[in-house]
Amino acid sequence: MTFKAWIKTITLYDLLVGMKMTMSHMLHYKPITMQYPHEKRILPDNYRGMLALLRYEDGVEKCVGCDLCEAACPSRVIRVVSAEVPDEPTKRYAKEYYMDMTRCLFCGLCVDACPVDALGMTREFEWSVYDKRQLHLNKEQLLAIGDRSFPVREKQLELQHPNVAFFNVAFKHLPQKPG
Amino acid sequence: MTEISLRLAVSFAQILAEMSIVMVTVATMTYFERKILGWMQDRMGPMEVGPYGLLQPVADGIKLFFKEDIIPAGANRAMFKLAPVLTMVIAMIGFAVIPFGPDVSMEMFGMTIKPFVVADINIGVLYILAIASIGAYGIILGGWASNSKYSLLGGLRSAAQVISYELNVGLAIVGVLMLAGTLSLVQITEAQSGGFWHWFIWGGRPDGFFPIHTQIFAFVVFVISAVAETNRIPFDLPEAESELVAGFFTEYSGMRFAFYVTAEYANMLLVSCVAASLFLGGWNAPYPGTILEYIGLEQLAWIEHIIWFTGKVYFFLFLFIWLRATLPRLRYDQLMRFGWKVMLPIALANIVITALTLYFFPRS
Repeated sequence: MTFKAWIKTITLYDLLVGMKMTMSHMLHYKPITMQYPHEKRILPDNYRGMLALLRYEDGVEKCVGCDLCEAACPSRVIRVVSAEVPDEPTKRYAKEYYMDMTRCLFCGLCVDACPVDALGMTREFEWSVYDKRQLHLNKEQLLAIGDRSFPVREKQLELQHPNVAFFNVAFKHLPQKPG
Repeated sequence: MTEISLRLAVSFAQILAEMSIVMVTVATMTYFERKILGWMQDRMGPMEVGPYGLLQPVADGIKLFFKEDIIPAGANRAMFKLAPVLTMVIAMIGFAVIPFGPDVSMEMFGMTIKPFVVADINIGVLYILAIASIGAYGIILGGWASNSKYSLLGGLRSAAQVISYELNVGLAIVGVLMLAGTLSLVQITEAQSGGFWHWFIWGGRPDGFFPIHTQIFAFVVFVISAVAETNRIPFDLPEAESELVAGFFTEYSGMRFAFYVTAEYANMLLVSCVAASLFLGGWNAPYPGTILEYIGLEQLAWIEHIIWFTGKVYFFLFLFIWLRATLPRLRYDQLMRFGWKVMLPIALANIVITALTLYFFPRS
């Protein structure tokens, strides 16, 4: 052990360096935490929160019951029961639509998979409940979440410009994602 | 007969006052520990209960009071119930000999009362050492009676640790005892009056400033050993969270758990009081006399004394928290090696050197 190291040992130098660090943090106190229920952090623009089913401008559900979301879901959250629209044999819709949010990992693959943009990810994240059966959501609940989170709705596909309808490209008059 | 009962009543009132001061300090300590720990780690600490979380100790107390009291199956019920009480009582009665304020006496009801010390016995330091050793029993009994491997390991570690570091505490004090020539904490504090160069940490002789009898090594040994003896980080092996869940009080809940926590903080307070009394001049101000005395308020000088004592004690308590915020836990063999091969030789050498300097440069 060199003399310098020995001096450092007997004067508890390393210990004092550490204590100086904690003391400086206390003197220049700047908390990096937040008082969560009272103040909330700003969510990033691409935040993936609670899932929701969307409607068109005239209140018709967008979902066509194609089951692609169910197929895309890696954790089997979604269950779709598809049916024909009464009196319109060419059209189908989701007669029943269930999401077991206890299993959802919020990957967003169902939203990507949807061909008609019927699914959306809201910015809600405070979904803790006392009874986890409350997280097994049906179609009405999912539509209600969509209604309150996406007040600006898209026009029906056939009312859009044909190119837009085909590629489903967002324009200014189309619903803005909140953010 | 009436004299004895009167004496008892006065003593009881003093004990009650001192106990309530200790309990209030413990409650504020739990708050400030979490708060300062938070500040040092860039957090806020408790903020919810009351303004800036000030009522957090009250909320904690109420919560613990109403918690279920669980006694694990296979536990030795009598010992399990006895251990926290023993720990708590031992932590509390140590304060009896601590002089909180100047050595004044009042004549009241035809007897002499010392208002700032419950019992000015002439073996105060020995008393505290003895009491602190018994405190280990509460921990060992609690660990053994819980019928849990974590508790038992925590209790055994605690026994080994307390015994190793008790020795260093005792030996570090010996130098101070040689300088003061007494075991009474009141007289030890008295001997350090007249300015900070008379404090035993510097050990200046009454006729000069040169710190020939300095006890600074004993002071460092005492503080480090005190941290170890109160089972605080970085020596918190008996309750090492990451290894032993909570150590010796793993199985305790409710008020029994609260007893252990209170006893831990009371022990911190006790060793802080002892360190302040022995090395930092106790209630003596760092200048000769007091300011209130100079401006002609001799009657109120005790206020200044008590403020100085409180300040010194709180400095040590802050040091405990500061160390906790900074240091990681030692490994068990490191702890033992440090205690026996570093602290003990320093304490012994300090005794020899102090004796030699006292022989060649007597204090009076």
